[in-house]
Amino acid sequence: MDRIEEIRVFFKKLLALRGDRQSFSDQSSLFLSGRLGSVEAVEVVVLLEEKFGIDFTETGFDETQIDSIDAIQLLIRTAKSPSRAE
Amino acid sequence: MSVSLPTTPRELAPLPAGALANFRLIPRIETYPAVVAFAQTLAGKLVLLALFGLGLAYNHQSWEPLILFLALITFLPGQRRILLTLSTLAFAFLVTWTSFKRPLYVVTLLCLTLLLGAFLFWSAARWPRSWYGRNTILIFLSGFAALVLIAATAPQNVWFSHPLWDFTYMLSTYMWFIGYSLLDAKLEDHDRFGLQLGCYRPFWGSTNTPFAKGAAYLRRIEARNAEQLAITQLKGLKLLAWASLISLFSNFYQHYIYESFPIPTYSQALSLSASHVHLPWYVCWASLIGNFFGGIISLSIFGHTIIACCRMAGFNALRNTYRPLSSRTVAEFFNRYYFYFKELLVDFFFYPIFLRCFRKNQKLRLVVSIFAAACFGNAFYHFSRDLNLVYSLGLARALQGYQVYLFYCFALATAISISRLRPRSPMPPGFIRARLLPSFSVVLVYCLLDVFGSTERNYPLTEHFRFFAHLFNLNL
Repeated sequence: MDRIEEIRVFFKKLLALRGDRQSFSDQSSLFLSGRLGSVEAVEVVVLLEEKFGIDFTETGFDETQIDSIDAIQLLIRTAKSPSRAE
Repeated sequence: MSVSLPTTPRELAPLPAGALANFRLIPRIETYPAVVAFAQTLAGKLVLLALFGLGLAYNHQSWEPLILFLALITFLPGQRRILLTLSTLAFAFLVTWTSFKRPLYVVTLLCLTLLLGAFLFWSAARWPRSWYGRNTILIFLSGFAALVLIAATAPQNVWFSHPLWDFTYMLSTYMWFIGYSLLDAKLEDHDRFGLQLGCYRPFWGSTNTPFAKGAAYLRRIEARNAEQLAITQLKGLKLLAWASLISLFSNFYQHYIYESFPIPTYSQALSLSASHVHLPWYVCWASLIGNFFGGIISLSIFGHTIIACCRMAGFNALRNTYRPLSSRTVAEFFNRYYFYFKELLVDFFFYPIFLRCFRKNQKLRLVVSIFAAACFGNAFYHFSRDLNLVYSLGLARALQGYQVYLFYCFALATAISISRLRPRSPMPPGFIRARLLPSFSVVLVYCLLDVFGSTERNYPLTEHFRFFAHLFNLNL
């Protein structure tokens, strides 16, 4: 399972814990739309720190950064780009 | 980073499908294509505004200027954010000019506060990577606390004593709004200060808690086209209708609970308990439960009306109060009861600690962050909100009288920590185990916490414990 798929499965699990079994796409807004809240945001932050080595003290944190699968992909790409590290 | 909003934005997680769960007292008109199409026409906009105006006239004192500004924004959606700033400033200065004995003096204080906000925002945006840029909120809140200390300890007979107090008080009312613009200043796509001003006590209303947060949030939830605007406005109209229905129910509730039955209000019951008048345990419970539900009802009416106006202005903000009684955990209730206050605590106190401290130990990290928000942040917010008590009682007595609310904050943070540390499990089958028992337990915890949730500072902590004991038929 690739890492983005892992995030999809993780989101599915978080939604299921809130009793939300409706489908979502990579573009679906999950936090701004209220489907997930700050409780779940904390779990996503920990996942991204542990699996992708993202340091939010460096990048700054805003819930829109993790609002959708696409947004997370962009965050991962930006965090790994050399220009950011320089 | 910009994330596009879905055409039909959703609210919080839905309940499982079922006949009762799908029942709607107010139909989902925003999902009817014909209604959405009509709401985009000139006639449709006029009908929407007229209906909204009717609802506002029932719920809101200053409904005339409010509907005027909403009409302007409806017909000029391209200028929404600029109109929001102009309407907000017009409201701020108009209210100041008509409500105070010395309007020029108060307007000067207001201008000084806004100038301070502009300077802080400009410097945070100018040097985002500097020590100041990375710690703007900490510096701002510490500076405010220092200002309160200076104002409270300065001799009363010097010329600057009163203006300093008045400025501190004015700043306290704008503190969290300025705070949100400082958070926005850190983002690459932040709005310029002119647009931030529209979020400083926006014209649709607020407490000291910014409703619909700050400019960053408004940017993300703004309607991007005519269809999204129509859907958002229809949702606003529905929410206002819902607020009116709850308001009607509230009148019956007040009448039946406090007039038809001999149930004292919570403050009356506490006062009787403090006077050593023996109240039966079930009367104590009745007053506490009545107070709990009364609080939910009044917060719902108030929050729904504000968010309805916000939606009518084209911002698809989440509700402030959303089905609090369906909460299955203490943490979930805190989120559903007063969403924007919880968001304030999370944005200003929880995340800064969570992202920086104890990253090796996840449980400790979580608990410390929860205490930073629900205990320290909560206490700091309410202490700075009630500065008039510091002025009238003096700093030492105001702090001493704050013991009850400090205890409440500590107990609340402990309850939320326990709730968050417990492993989350999927819903068990059956309505009673899945919904009723968890909700009942959550309501019970918050009812008990409410015994200490007073910020009035009328009675010491011991009197609140005495009342708490009465609930279990113990007379201390």
